[in-house]
Amino acid sequence: MKKTVLLSLLAAAIPFVGTGCRTPAHYIQTGGRESLVNVNQINIQDFIEAANTATSDLLASGALDKVANPPAVLAISRIVNNTGQQIDTDLLIKKIRVAVLNSGKAQVTTTMGLGGTAEDPMAKGLQQEAEFKSDQKTTRTPDFTLSGKIIQTTAKDGNTSQSTYSFQLSLTDAKTGLAVWENEKEITKQGGRPSVGF
Amino acid sequence: MKTRIFLPLAGAALLALTGCHTSMNTIENAQKEGQRQMISDSRVITDSSLAKKVSFVGINQSMTPGGFLKVQIELLNRKHSLQRFSYQFEWFDANGMQINNIVSPTVPDQIEGGESKFISSVAPTTACKDFRVKFIED
Repeated sequence: MKKTVLLSLLAAAIPFVGTGCRTPAHYIQTGGRESLVNVNQINIQDFIEAANTATSDLLASGALDKVANPPAVLAISRIVNNTGQQIDTDLLIKKIRVAVLNSGKAQVTTTMGLGGTAEDPMAKGLQQEAEFKSDQKTTRTPDFTLSGKIIQTTAKDGNTSQSTYSFQLSLTDAKTGLAVWENEKEITKQGGRPSVGF
Repeated sequence: MKTRIFLPLAGAALLALTGCHTSMNTIENAQKEGQRQMISDSRVITDSSLAKKVSFVGINQSMTPGGFLKVQIELLNRKHSLQRFSYQFEWFDANGMQINNIVSPTVPDQIEGGESKFISSVAPTTACKDFRVKFIED
């Protein structure tokens, strides 16, 4: 009898023991201090920091102010991913676009893209239709193009591994083809693998 | 015999005690060409331990060519060991309303023992007139 009671109590306790150490699902601030950090992965806080550095530097440089008809028009060119992981470069570029638009210094075209592709095909169609009907060119040629590259450099020593992510961006004057602003932000992360792990 | 054992132990203990201690020496030009536009600040200290390790020396500000407010804060580690911390800038308009900034990161940073370093940020819009920076120990 005693054995049965003991076994029942043990069986009932197992789920609590199993879940006791587990953190229940909860919300955290995106990019905040509680965010997970991976050495061999670009985390969301890295994208936020890289976008913030690039935007601050771009706005402070005054490069976007040197246009005849402000705000400047910006087209997004190629953003090369040279890291070992598959990433959506919009995690970086979209943040810069939003920040630059909110600053009032530039607007990004969504009807002109790399290789003639439009980010918003419907807008492009409507724009072409309006131009055809009015027989007037309404499209503003971009003043600048934004291109860039994300590079990963790794190093390892014993159980310690390190990754440096370089976020490189260039703003090119569409008329002259010359880069009028360039920025590189490097984020380095280091971590050790536990000698005993599961 | 006792001395033979004691000396290596004392050496190891000394190494262990001083191992984490770092302190930075600096040199700079004495006659400064640039003039920093220092501004008065208001501080709220709730972590006195962090305030010693990441103490505020002063704030200076300037305007960028595009009319954005740029702020630079000088920090000094009064201790002799490396300190990790995070900071975040917040920006406010002329009405004291916080400007929503999509790229306002909590920036992880570190300061060596005895080091003086600067952190800076540029306002996200020209409408930003005031700012606040939060610091927390990592």
